[in-house]
Formats: sequence, structure tokens, C-alpha cells
Amino acid sequence: MGETILQINHLSKSFGTHEVLKDIDFTVQKGDVTSIIGASGSGKSTLLRCINLLETPSSGEILYHGDNVVGRGVNAPAYRSHVGMVFQSFNLFSNMIVLENCIVGQVKVLKRSREEARQHAMHYLEKVGMAPYINAKPRQISGGQKQRVAIARALAMDPEVLLFDEPTSALDPEMVGEVLSVMQELAREGMTMLVVTHEMAFARDVSTHVVYMSDGVICEQGSPEEVFGNPQKESTKEFLARFRSN
Amino acid sequence: MDKVIKLGQDIVLLWKNYGSAYLGGVWNTLALATVATLIGCIIGLVCGILNTIPYTKQDPLPKRFLLKLIRIIIRAYVELFRGTPMVLQAVFIYYGLPYFSGNTMRFESMWMAAILIVSINTGAYMAESVRGGIISIDPGQTEGAKAIGMTHVQTMTSVILPQALRNIMPQIGNNFIINVKDTSVMFIIGFTEFFAFHRYITGVNNMYFPSAAIEMIGYLTLTLVFSFLLRWVEKKMDGSDSYELVQTDALTMSAGTYSHPDRGTPFDERSKEHRERIKMGLKNRNGSMRGGR
Repeated sequence: MGETILQINHLSKSFGTHEVLKDIDFTVQKGDVTSIIGASGSGKSTLLRCINLLETPSSGEILYHGDNVVGRGVNAPAYRSHVGMVFQSFNLFSNMIVLENCIVGQVKVLKRSREEARQHAMHYLEKVGMAPYINAKPRQISGGQKQRVAIARALAMDPEVLLFDEPTSALDPEMVGEVLSVMQELAREGMTMLVVTHEMAFARDVSTHVVYMSDGVICEQGSPEEVFGNPQKESTKEFLARFRSN
Repeated sequence: MDKVIKLGQDIVLLWKNYGSAYLGGVWNTLALATVATLIGCIIGLVCGILNTIPYTKQDPLPKRFLLKLIRIIIRAYVELFRGTPMVLQAVFIYYGLPYFSGNTMRFESMWMAAILIVSINTGAYMAESVRGGIISIDPGQTEGAKAIGMTHVQTMTSVILPQALRNIMPQIGNNFIINVKDTSVMFIIGFTEFFAFHRYITGVNNMYFPSAAIEMIGYLTLTLVFSFLLRWVEKKMDGSDSYELVQTDALTMSAGTYSHPDRGTPFDERSKEHRERIKMGLKNRNGSMRGGR
């Protein structure tokens, strides 16, 4: 196994009195492709948002290469620049063209020169097949194209791990494929990925780890063969049975 | 009809005698409205930005206290200047300063006083507009910026403010047009803008109505010209509706060099019959392909 990038210990998150995450423990190692599955409201997205510090965990710790990033005195922006995130709603900057979306972070955060940033951005835009659209504004391209640009934007920052928060849930069915194939390609190249998804086929075929969450706890985890082929817990079986018919 | 002609004659007469006075008034009005709107926008922008600095329970106490204090001060400023008439504020500040300083301090120039009063008034309105503009931006934009490691300042300058400013352009325009008209109350402290000349001119003769007609036409022309200009600026800010595809796909590059016996090159000279034959051939081929599926 590779080195540990993220280690999450006893992570909890409450919104008011509602406890969304309860005592979560798990680790992400270099090269892992971890799929987090579970019913809506089971805390999957909240977990991912906590990992990127978009939500502040109520308790527990997140160790990034052994250093805790939760709490005061932590440089959250610097940490986030190593952990990329792709959102369900794309969140492309609507005041910038596609190319600028992929350049701005490199120039402002990583202090790269514009030319270097441009080349880097082009490399990833070509990779996701969006190079012809670099002059388009986000409102002018389709959902699948937006998501591919969002992936290129995250990749251009050279993150160590990439978080995907339901990347295909806001897409029309015919656009899901183009995004999933980009993600599959990334996984094949050894990118460390943490994917919250409802695409069971993707979780089964592409990921190296599957985590099943229910009611804010990790109910079951293991290799895709273990979780999909031979689920141990009753709730996992019930959840997976819903996808059997497809 | 006679009356209308009479009005026209009176207007011409007035304009002949006092045209340059009216124009001078227009100039003063425009200068005051422009400068005060600009300064007001800057005040509003600063207030709006300070007002939207986020803080959480995790932040240290002094920071939270300071941010809360700033919000209270801005709130008080906005409520005070939005809640009292500008004409009264003008009198209050213009005469209040020498009153309180025992005549040691007073406004050296009318311009200074007028610009100050109109600016802080505009600022009070703009502060709320800017705050509204900032909070109306989809939170996803902030999250997207945060996720690539931007700080709050970077997020604001690169992502949020450019969008917020576009959204509050109609408000800026609104304030400017209101200022063009409402600077007319500055006659109260003796500032000679457009309307002040009406008072001055009708004091010399008694052509109240013709002079008022000139004022009406003047103000309406000014505001119409500016609302047109503002629309144009907004359109410019939105940029082009279309975009160009950049072809970097290696496959499409070879499209022009594709060769086929029937096709020749674009430079070939061919007879009309030959072209017809090719067209028919293509049609048949397409037809058979569709049939085959």
C-alpha cells in the first residue's frame, strides 16, 4: 500500500441538534479510488465537504500527511489547494471563460506565471476534451461539458487527492457517460480519488474501495467485490437490492 | 395652439438671454452628480465589502468583535442618511460645522460641501445595493473558489465582485439619475446648479412657466441620455453572446486534405454535368445508408 494522504479520526458534524456525521474513521492512501455510496441524507456529501473544510467538523481530526487541519491556526486555503474538489453543481466561475477558469487558481494561489498556467490548463482541457471550447463562457456550454471543465480546473492545481461530490447527479442521462469516462481515465492513471456517487456501476467497476454510509456512520467498507458481491450488513443488502433490477 | 406658440417664443427669448446661464447650471449639475456618484459608489463598495466579511464561532474574539462593530457602525450610517431628507442634511452639515466650531471651521467652497453631502447620501444607498449584490451571488461560486485554495480576498476580487458589480450596474445607474435630479435641492446652501438658475432667472423676470419648461426638457434630456448610455455599458459588460471554437483536434485538421476519386480538389474546374452527377451520387449514397439502418 502507498503512503497515507488523509486520515480521518472520530470525525463528527452536527447542524444544530441534528448529528449528521457520527464518529467517522477512515483513511485515504495514495492511488486509492474510494467510492462513498449510501442513501440521500446519509451524510456522504457532508463528509466530503468536511474533508475539504467547506464545513467545519464539530469534533474529531483530519490528518493530512500526519498534520491536523481541523481547528484554529490552520491555513485552510493552503490545505485546500492540495485537495481538489468537483461539485454536483459545477460551480464554474461565471464571469470567466473556460480557459480563464482553469488559469485563475494557478496564477493567484500557486503563483505560476500566466504562460505556464495557460499551458498547464490547456494540457488538462485537452485531456477532458474541452480544448475547442476554451473561449466559451460557462453559460454557453452543456452540463456535461461544464463538469469536464470543472475537472480540468481541479486537475490544473495538481492536487494530491480529488474529491467528487455527486459529479453526475445534476446531469441529463446522455451526459453522464462523458463525465464518467473522464473519471475512469483519471482512475486508470493512478489519481487518488474520493467519489460520492449514485452510479453503482462506476463504484463497482472503477473504484478500489467502497464505503457504504447510512445515518451518518460508515456501515460497511471494503473492496468492491466484498461490498457488492457479499455484503455483510442487513442495511447494505437492502440498499444494494434497490439497484439489482437495473 | 396660440398658447403653445407663445410658450415656444418665450422659451426662445429666455434662451437667448440666459442660455449660457442655463448651460452653466447643467454643467454644474452634471459635474456634481458624476463626482458624487463616483465617490458614493466607492463608499458603498467599501461598506458593502466590510459588511460581508464572513466570521465563524471558531474565529478569535477580537476579530469577531471588530467585524460586529464595523457592521453596527455601517448600519447606523445607512439608517441615518437613508432616513432623513437630503435637503435637511445639507442645511444641517453646512451650517452645523461653523456652529459647533464657533466659526473657526466652515466650508471653504460650495463645491466641497455639495459633493460631501451628495456623496455620503449616495454611499448610504449604495452600501445596501453592494451588500445585496454580493449576497445574491450563488454560494457555489464562493465554494468553487475556496476549493481551489483561494483566500477570502482572492475570492472577492477575482470571482465575487466582478459578478456583483455587474449585477448592481442598474442600481448605480439608478443612483446617478436620482443624483442628477436631486442635486437640485443643493440650492438651499447656495450651490448654483441647473435648478438654481431657474430661481435666479425667474427672480429677474416673471416667466416662471417657460423657464420651468426649459428645466423639464433639460432634466429629461440629461436622464434619457444617461439611461441610454448605462444600458450600452451593461451590454458591453455582458460580452459577446457567441464564442469561437478553437480547433485543436488533430482529426479535424485533416478534413481539407481528404481525397476521394469523385471529389477532386476545390481548385478543379469541372463541367456542370459532372457536378450534377456527383450530387446525384451523394444523394443516392445517403439514401441507401438510411435505408440500410
